[in-house]
Amino acid sequence: MPRLNSAADLERFRKDTLAKRDPNKLCVTVCSGTGCHAYGCEGVAEAFVNEIKSKNLQAKVDIRKTGCHGFCERGTVVVIFPEEICYLHVKPDDVSEIVQKTLIENKIVDRLLYEDADGQKVVREGEIPFYKHQNRIIFGNNRFIDPKNIDDYIALGGYAALSKALFQMTPKQVLNEVKEANLRGRGGGGFPAGRKWETTRNAAGEPKYVIVNADEGDPGAYMDRSLLEGNPHSVLEGLLIGAYAIGSHEGYIYVRQEYPLALQNTEIAIEKAKEYGLLGKNILGSGFDFDVFIHRGAGAFVSGESSALMSAIEGQVGEPRPKYIHTSVKGLWNKPTCLNNVETWANVPFIINKGADWFKGIGTENSKGTKIFSLVGKINNTGLVEVPMGITLREIIYDIGGGIPNGKRFKSVQTGGPSGGILPESMLDLPVDFDELTKAGSMMGSGGMIVMDENTCMVDTARYYIDFLAHESCGKCVPCREGLRQMLIILNNITTGKGKEGDIELLEELSEFIQEAALCALGKTASNPVLSTIRHFKNEYEAHIKENRCPAGVCKELISYYINEDDCIGCGLCAKNCPTNAISKSKDKIYVIEQDSCIKCGMCAKVCPEKAKAVVVISPRPVSDTAQVTT
Amino acid sequence: MEKMMYGSEKLLEGEKTASLNKQDVLLKGLEILGEYYSLGLERQDFLDDLRYLEVEAEYYAEKLGHIKKKEKAILDIVNDLRLVDDIIQKYNYKKNALIQILLDIQMQVHWIPGHALRWLSTRLNIPLTRIYSIANFYEALSLEPRGAHLIQICTGTACHVRGAAGLVDRVSCILGVEPGQTDSEQLFTLETVHCLGCCALGPVMVVDGQYYSNPSTKQIQGIAASCKVSREKGEDYAQVEFSR
Repeated sequence: MPRLNSAADLERFRKDTLAKRDPNKLCVTVCSGTGCHAYGCEGVAEAFVNEIKSKNLQAKVDIRKTGCHGFCERGTVVVIFPEEICYLHVKPDDVSEIVQKTLIENKIVDRLLYEDADGQKVVREGEIPFYKHQNRIIFGNNRFIDPKNIDDYIALGGYAALSKALFQMTPKQVLNEVKEANLRGRGGGGFPAGRKWETTRNAAGEPKYVIVNADEGDPGAYMDRSLLEGNPHSVLEGLLIGAYAIGSHEGYIYVRQEYPLALQNTEIAIEKAKEYGLLGKNILGSGFDFDVFIHRGAGAFVSGESSALMSAIEGQVGEPRPKYIHTSVKGLWNKPTCLNNVETWANVPFIINKGADWFKGIGTENSKGTKIFSLVGKINNTGLVEVPMGITLREIIYDIGGGIPNGKRFKSVQTGGPSGGILPESMLDLPVDFDELTKAGSMMGSGGMIVMDENTCMVDTARYYIDFLAHESCGKCVPCREGLRQMLIILNNITTGKGKEGDIELLEELSEFIQEAALCALGKTASNPVLSTIRHFKNEYEAHIKENRCPAGVCKELISYYINEDDCIGCGLCAKNCPTNAISKSKDKIYVIEQDSCIKCGMCAKVCPEKAKAVVVISPRPVSDTAQVTT
Repeated sequence: MEKMMYGSEKLLEGEKTASLNKQDVLLKGLEILGEYYSLGLERQDFLDDLRYLEVEAEYYAEKLGHIKKKEKAILDIVNDLRLVDDIIQKYNYKKNALIQILLDIQMQVHWIPGHALRWLSTRLNIPLTRIYSIANFYEALSLEPRGAHLIQICTGTACHVRGAAGLVDRVSCILGVEPGQTDSEQLFTLETVHCLGCCALGPVMVVDGQYYSNPSTKQIQGIAASCKVSREKGEDYAQVEFSR
């Protein structure tokens, strides 16, 4: 591949690539994100390759392994273009049927289509309700692109924004466009990206650095990973444009070690971009130089904080430092450094291409554009969703997410990861944007959205987050290190039935103190999950403390599993699945749980057949049980 | 680098003498180590470090004795050091690449042995305390040897609300290992991780790169049994290459 040495070269290359591709040619795309990988998409793709070879269809059909389509619940997702026929839950065994029926006979395999609640089949991917209610801008190209193939990205208009910025705009103009668009940081804080860029641009000191923060540590959030895995060039292009506006010639991409596919695809993207002259010296013949390096994060949640992340790149322990002077002025090696989240950078090419006015047309007054959420937990359609700012939680959870599985009742939704809060049912009509969520006691965060149903214990959830944060606290400042430890002890006590009167008030007091005194955002926001659960679900805390009762039936020490004699059908599934052999057949041919050896893993309740539903959770534990255990 | 090649030639000799008793091999190994080690060190440092290594080599030989031939332990140390050298070279002796170097060692050796830490410290001229603090801080770096099979259970929020705690209980009850521990035969390491990004499958367990969505008791027992079988067949040592 010869280097592209001018804007005209790039355009010519794009035209040539498009000319070589027949838009009406059959193309089988297999989602190859990590979610589908877990379902075994590799096997599906391989089966397609073999089947197409054996049927001699190579000339008629292309196969493309794309990035994440987002509908992780129904993986492996296979979409056949140009008709956009979408097959879900595809297994390698289904492939020969798809090839025979759809690719050769031009028919549709009904059983693999999406079926809505009324039994209606949906053929086209875009018409599935999960996709129909979304506004896929940043994430939308994932399904067309093989992330390992730069030509795919260029064919879709990739690097046009970079070329526009380099040849038709001054750095100042680029900066103003982003400022005008009011793009806010997608990593959680929501700080205006344009203002950050400007600070770094105007700060004294050379060289200046730009960084992509892909240290996505929120448990239950994976949109940054999917973006970097599925469309790494969009992030790279955004970074290049930002570097041009800021006047930086060196950048870093900080990716978690736990994301091997994202790492691999980013490495390939950088290599290819260099080969094409889109990275390195004299980019597109413009005279602008820019180089980028990958830094693998070694697994520390706190290292996602800007100053900690910079310490890590310097080769030190990734601990935050006090930010009396912002990192945009004194960051990496004490030089001005602009750090933005993956999604923020990926927004930039769209703003440059389509203009700030277009961007401002989407979203609410102070939160513009779209946001990608990872919609997970007790929800029918687990997956990644991209929606315009201002959409309500109800629309996301019910229209896109398809509601709560198994007819259970919705209880709450958690946004913002461990730094965010929990929003109850009464807040479902809240419009989702940076300011509204903060006002409601939660936050946007990086975009995790965990849905909880009636069987989720709120005290246990708060305990889970504090446990996570206490573990991830770097220990540098006392309020966070000791405060979280004390909170965890109290919460552990409450969930094990040792809670005391006054614990709730003590938790509130500690929370307030940590918020005030902690060094970095990890500590400052750590108490949000506790405060918001106390605010909305105080009755659950009280039930734990006063009655030793876990209303949701989760906290192990406060519950017992029992098999209802009247409902047991004697199938024996529970006994077969019990890891401790605590379940045995009684004289009446029904099964009984021996409480002494029960570890309360809940497997019996899970396997008990729907028609029987004989295994029940009792809380508080009957007196006879507790007596047995203590003796 | 010629000098190092000299060291490796001697190593081959060492391998031939596997029939010698342990003490002899240990001494032979230390001799080679000494040569290897002296390349980057002043005389006094070298003697101190050698003494330390001697102790460690013996400890290492004892500890791994039941799975490897004891005689091989010393050679393994030398191999580890050579690997560390290659990795440092890949990063051009840059001090700020320390975390990347440690990650590479972790990926290839599956843990970070003490001798690798010391070797890094002398090679890069970074105090051992600093290297140790970094190795200790990051979760991806393990200062303990890992089992041949890595079992990861996701305890991300999505998996947690779907019952990951029960899965952890079940697995650790069946395998007899608590999360974070390796069993005494170094067959399994059970680990909990925060979010593997396949929330739709939750609660999810990953064994050597293979995903299981809420595995049944039978499945877990089956996995444990098949690991034991591969151990008996002698297939798993030199550790299974975990899929990236």
